[in-house]
Amino acid sequence: MTLMNCLILAFLLFGIGVWGLIHRRHLVGMLISMELMLNAANINFIAFAYFTPGDSTSGSIFSAFVIAVTACEMAIALAIIVSMYRRHKSLDVEQLRDLHD
Amino acid sequence: MYSISNQLIPDLILLALPFLILIVRLCSKRTTVMPWRIANLGLIATFVMLNMIPLTNSEGAFFLSNWRVDDFGVLMREVFVLSGILGLWLAKDYFDHGADGKPALMHITEFMATLIFATFGGFIVVSACDMLTLFLGLEMATIPMYALTAWNKRDQYGSEAATKYILMGSVATAFELFGFSYLYGFAGSIHFSQIASATSAGTSPLLWIALLFIFCGIGFKLTLFPFYTWAPDVYEGAPTPVTAVLSVTSKATAIAFLVVLLYGPLAPVQDKIVPLVALLACTTLFVGNLGALKQSRLRRFMAYSSIAQAGYIMIALLGPGYISKTAIVYYLFVYTVANYLAFFVFGVIGHYRPESFNSLRGLSKQNTLLAVALAAAMFSLAGIPPLAGFFGKFHLFFSGATAGHYMVVAFAVLNNVLALYYYLQVIKSAWADEPEGELSPIRMVKRQRFVVIALLAATILLGVLPFVSNNVFTGFTF
Repeated sequence: MTLMNCLILAFLLFGIGVWGLIHRRHLVGMLISMELMLNAANINFIAFAYFTPGDSTSGSIFSAFVIAVTACEMAIALAIIVSMYRRHKSLDVEQLRDLHD
Repeated sequence: MYSISNQLIPDLILLALPFLILIVRLCSKRTTVMPWRIANLGLIATFVMLNMIPLTNSEGAFFLSNWRVDDFGVLMREVFVLSGILGLWLAKDYFDHGADGKPALMHITEFMATLIFATFGGFIVVSACDMLTLFLGLEMATIPMYALTAWNKRDQYGSEAATKYILMGSVATAFELFGFSYLYGFAGSIHFSQIASATSAGTSPLLWIALLFIFCGIGFKLTLFPFYTWAPDVYEGAPTPVTAVLSVTSKATAIAFLVVLLYGPLAPVQDKIVPLVALLACTTLFVGNLGALKQSRLRRFMAYSSIAQAGYIMIALLGPGYISKTAIVYYLFVYTVANYLAFFVFGVIGHYRPESFNSLRGLSKQNTLLAVALAAAMFSLAGIPPLAGFFGKFHLFFSGATAGHYMVVAFAVLNNVLALYYYLQVIKSAWADEPEGELSPIRMVKRQRFVVIALLAATILLGVLPFVSNNVFTGFTF
């Protein structure tokens, strides 16, 4: 287990997140992809904190904060998605077509 | 020298305010009047206290090593609070009646609390001295905005706009966070002073990848060129007061974020980042201007206008720190005043008619004050000399020119001609076009008339201010 392994893992996770975001047409699926991207950053933080010399506490604390902030963000996102669902009775992003040029 | 506690008072007032409002809402019998008064009082108190902090022209005062109150921070705080107050005053009427075909908003107390939280997020961003504080500040400024955009649950456009906004915003957060993690790996610390010493010691590919991710992230929030597509939809779908707050507070927060990073930890490599900033600035203002040309709905038009304005502000970032910060703060004041003036006019009109260019017809004959205010706002945004907008833009371009980026400045000035065309379209609708059929009457309540007159005066007086006050011109040596 080296720093490089962790960084590659994180980068792959981030890539999978981006891929999922582009190809998923379901709002909850997109949220999960986003969660993957955020957690890839968390892995990066912890890997750097563990393997590199320097201030290791702040890196670990950062990831804890990120988890909390992500929870807030997802709470709001789910609330908004529920209100979308009440109106459209479906969670397909293709329906987001009322606002356009 | 003032003690640190004095400088923290405005922050503490603003932090306590939303909780206080919510508690009063729970306990008081007059559930809307009391919180409304307290919110106004608190915001005005914050603004007054901010004005009492003397500008010291120094490093600023530190609190716990990661909370800094410096001149730029104090002035940016004033912009945020001003935007918060004006946003509340604009929003008040939308709770009494529907507008622009949308039903009335509800839950004013929670709305105010959320808005103040977003304002406090801006405070955190300008005082941050490490990446964690900066990240938390940006999130605190953004997450309430998602909720505000979706505030009108009975309006289908609101929830669609909020969905688009939160999807794009969260992706931006992920990108920015990924960049932060690489920056942490590069510097081995999250504190700005240590990152600065790491960047001045030498660069590595890790740093550039980190910066690329961070710029992608902040590009979303600042509506820079490849990432701006969400903005028109969100601005159109959100309730009008929220659109106004979005276009000022959220934009100012994102700009502050860039200023804090570029002139703080990244100052040693600023000259290497400058080409990227110049490219983003030029493409953004060109795309914003092109987009605004063909709009017929006012909020969408203002969205493209604010995209272009973000491009203009980016030009100041090419220059050295002391000039650039002065120019940005001054321009943000001017932009806040002009933007809110326009939105107040749209708000009054939107009460009686749909918010589109056609509704402006015949405004000059029907209500001269509104037509004059609209003309002043548009001329100020376009940058016509006697008004504040001209001096604001002048400072921005001056900052870019100081660093020798004449081509970029010339491109921006040429674009300004393009911008003038569509701002004149608005004025033409209000002053020259004949109305179709009978006009519905327009009435202003006392608060609206007061704010419109005050902002109209500010649009003119802010243009004179640089010649009266030395503070604004300290950064300039002619």
